[in-house]
Amino acid sequence: MAMSSVTEHPAPADTAPAQRPPGLLRSVLSNQHVLLLVALAILVAYFTFRDSVFVSTPEIAVLLTNFASLILLAVGETFVIVSGGIDLSVGATCGFAGVVAAFAMRDLINAHQSETLVLIVGTIICAAIGIGIGLVNAALMNWARLVPFVATLATLGAASGLSLVLSGGVPIGSDSAALGIGADQIGPFPYMFLVVFAIVVISWLYLHLSRYGRYTYAVGSNAFAARAAGINVRRHLTSVYVLSGLLAGLTGMVFYIRLGAGAPTSGDGFELIAIAAVVIGGVSLFGGVGRLTGTILGALILTVVTSGLIISNVSPNWNQVAVAICIAAAASLQALRVLGRRQS
Amino acid sequence: MTGERQPLYEARHIDKNYGGVVALSDVSVSLYPGEVLGLVGDNGAGKSTLVKVLSGVHNPDAGQLLLDGVERHWKSPHDTIEAGVETLYQDAGLAEDLTIGSNVFLGREKAKPGLLGKLGFLAQKDMEREALADLERVGITVPPSKRTVSQLSGGQRQAVAIGRAIAWARKVILLDEPTNHLGARQAVEVLSVIRAAKDQGLGVIFISHTLPHVLQVTDRVVVLRLGKVVRDAATSQFDAESLLGTITGLLETA
Repeated sequence: MAMSSVTEHPAPADTAPAQRPPGLLRSVLSNQHVLLLVALAILVAYFTFRDSVFVSTPEIAVLLTNFASLILLAVGETFVIVSGGIDLSVGATCGFAGVVAAFAMRDLINAHQSETLVLIVGTIICAAIGIGIGLVNAALMNWARLVPFVATLATLGAASGLSLVLSGGVPIGSDSAALGIGADQIGPFPYMFLVVFAIVVISWLYLHLSRYGRYTYAVGSNAFAARAAGINVRRHLTSVYVLSGLLAGLTGMVFYIRLGAGAPTSGDGFELIAIAAVVIGGVSLFGGVGRLTGTILGALILTVVTSGLIISNVSPNWNQVAVAICIAAAASLQALRVLGRRQS
Repeated sequence: MTGERQPLYEARHIDKNYGGVVALSDVSVSLYPGEVLGLVGDNGAGKSTLVKVLSGVHNPDAGQLLLDGVERHWKSPHDTIEAGVETLYQDAGLAEDLTIGSNVFLGREKAKPGLLGKLGFLAQKDMEREALADLERVGITVPPSKRTVSQLSGGQRQAVAIGRAIAWARKVILLDEPTNHLGARQAVEVLSVIRAAKDQGLGVIFISHTLPHVLQVTDRVVVLRLGKVVRDAATSQFDAESLLGTITGLLETA
């Protein structure tokens, strides 16, 4: 296939590999990021063509809010997947954190406390719950010896059930007072989005340039080699699931601000969309491979597709189908590229 | 001969069981400075288990480990690395998705100077450059590149892994099957790298199934069979045939 000549041949045992300089066009086409950017541009152009409202300030603000609801989960999931695991509990964590924080925030709002105090308390509660669930995940893996899939499936069930028990199945704090909390924006940028954006940038710096990120890749690439090199693998994995839980908890706060309430089912199924963003972004489910910029592009594409369908008056029931098509297309593209590399 | 010298690294009466399976039984081995000790035995004789006990991956069920005459209780490979013992594991390899430099510095990354370093950011360019220099110093040349280890050939990967162990070792190097996956010429290079390490006064434990390599590079050979030491003698006392006979047990020697 066309891409195959770009990639290196494994060198004969004792010579330096002879590397053919790749053609510019080929190297561009074989780069997942470039392909994702092209896909994103085409999608934006298409939806704008369908309805120019798509690029208006209010619609961009909606888009960014939707993006903010997804990206933190996807960032946490990226760390987890790069480390060689999976975290299914993030969606449920986000709903559970939102419900618990909503109870506290409702009391504060009723006591006429300042908006800042309400937001700070809510954020701290959400963060604490996320960290707690991350610790439970890590404990189930380290002590009960569950694999990540099963451990986080268990916490998914527990968190999702507890939010229903606590809330009685109805959104908490849904009244006019709560609705405007934290919803301010500068131009098309909601404050909340700016905070989320800062977290994403810091996460990128740490995943790609710091010791913490290096260990995450090392553990996901070869856990025994990492341990043999003196890395405390268990402690590192614990921190990765705590980080994922923390970001999921904070997403609970994003949902609260978006809905003006802590809805028990608000995060349901979001773990799969977050994983989809990561996979579309080219992060390998086997661990050790991928870039956070890929995840960001993946989350942007999913946000644009789902928001675009709404604007185009397509029934929201089609959302899942659209997400599914995105995953299949991206994953197959990646598989074809890997295959091309092997055959070269 | 070596009786009055203090061993650099010594294992005394080590027992190790996996579940009900006896992997090591009353194994005693000493390694002296500037010595290459061959560790041979058939599959399942306990060679790799002994390496993992010596490197701190596994705790022995019984017995003592003494480094420089001081008894040590390793909690993890991290402890042995700190103490100057480097290990090449047969089944560990490298973190293949990382670059050569990242692998050579894995677990002891260089931080950037100043505040950024305190925040955990890494001096990646320095590490890539120094890694190649370190490998070259111990006699291993790899192409300078930012590619990941997964893009190197099997021989090059093995060379990087050996070079990393030798470049960092301050006292002892444990090499489990270092000449596996290597072509003839590369194997010869590895043997000369091991001799250079020995000349610097390091102690080397060399495990191999390739008996000619063992006879070429080692000073002394310990033969393990079914978890027990059955022979511990100077290499000069063996030839290929008698060594093979001792390993298989077909040639019983006192």
